Amino acid sequence: MEEYAREPCPWRIVDDCGGAFTMGTIGGGVFQAIKGFRNSPVVSGRPVGLLRSRGPVAGGGDGAGDTFLLASSQGVSHRLRGSLTAVKTRAPQLGGSFAVWGGLFSMIDCSLVQVRGKEDPWNSITSGALTGAVLAARNGPVAMVGSAAMGGILLALIEGAGILLTRFASAQFPNGPQFAEDPSQLPAAPLPPSPFGDYRQYQ
Amino acid sequence: MPVAVGPYGQSQPSCFDRVKMGFVMGCAVGMAAGALFGTFSCLRIGMRGRELMGGIGKTMMQSGGTFGTFMAIGMGIRC
Repeated sequence: MEEYAREPCPWRIVDDCGGAFTMGTIGGGVFQAIKGFRNSPVVSGRPVGLLRSRGPVAGGGDGAGDTFLLASSQGVSHRLRGSLTAVKTRAPQLGGSFAVWGGLFSMIDCSLVQVRGKEDPWNSITSGALTGAVLAARNGPVAMVGSAAMGGILLALIEGAGILLTRFASAQFPNGPQFAEDPSQLPAAPLPPSPFGDYRQYQ
Repeated sequence: MPVAVGPYGQSQPSCFDRVKMGFVMGCAVGMAAGALFGTFSCLRIGMRGRELMGGIGKTMMQSGGTFGTFMAIGMGIRC
């Protein structure tokens, strides 16, 4: 994690991109497996929802519960197949969008580091907002502003949590903060004040 | 990992500890974000009063869980 944090800037982009892709794929796999299992059409019951239904979970949940009672073991295997289909379809997509986000984010982050000549939380907040804006650029200015605000607020929350955790944890266990932060946010995080200033020299 | 022992001689936390910590932190961030965005979206669709509280709570739980899971995975793939 520490050598990750000190990744020199151009390579950080590749690293973030790949990390985000992996994270999105695995996470998307987990979530889509559950979702595909619940929403899968079953042979014995009525098809409760398509795999691509993105609607509120509560509506689909009741129907899925009904059909789950009806479903035989064959239904379960069908559900597993539906789950597999959902994972195969959706997880790489989510990984791809995560990778786009992460790559663009750290590109802007690196550019800001280059331009401003320092690394602080404002870098990542700004680059989160800019990333949101750029990725929503095709949806018009209103969507851009909304998406930028969302990205900025989200990154500000993450940075704030990281800073809080650093302060909180540095009093208790000195090894806490280095892993307690989101890795893609770590490069821009400020160096914590006392025990970690010399901490980095241990490597 | 370059450092196995911290300044105070504490050994490095295990992988599972990191994943747990990632989940807790992601959960906290996700809940805060869910409170913010959930308030807006629930107000926008016209919820008020007790219903609004329920809607916000649900959004907070959902986004906390999602964020926590993703951050735990993000911790897990790097250790």
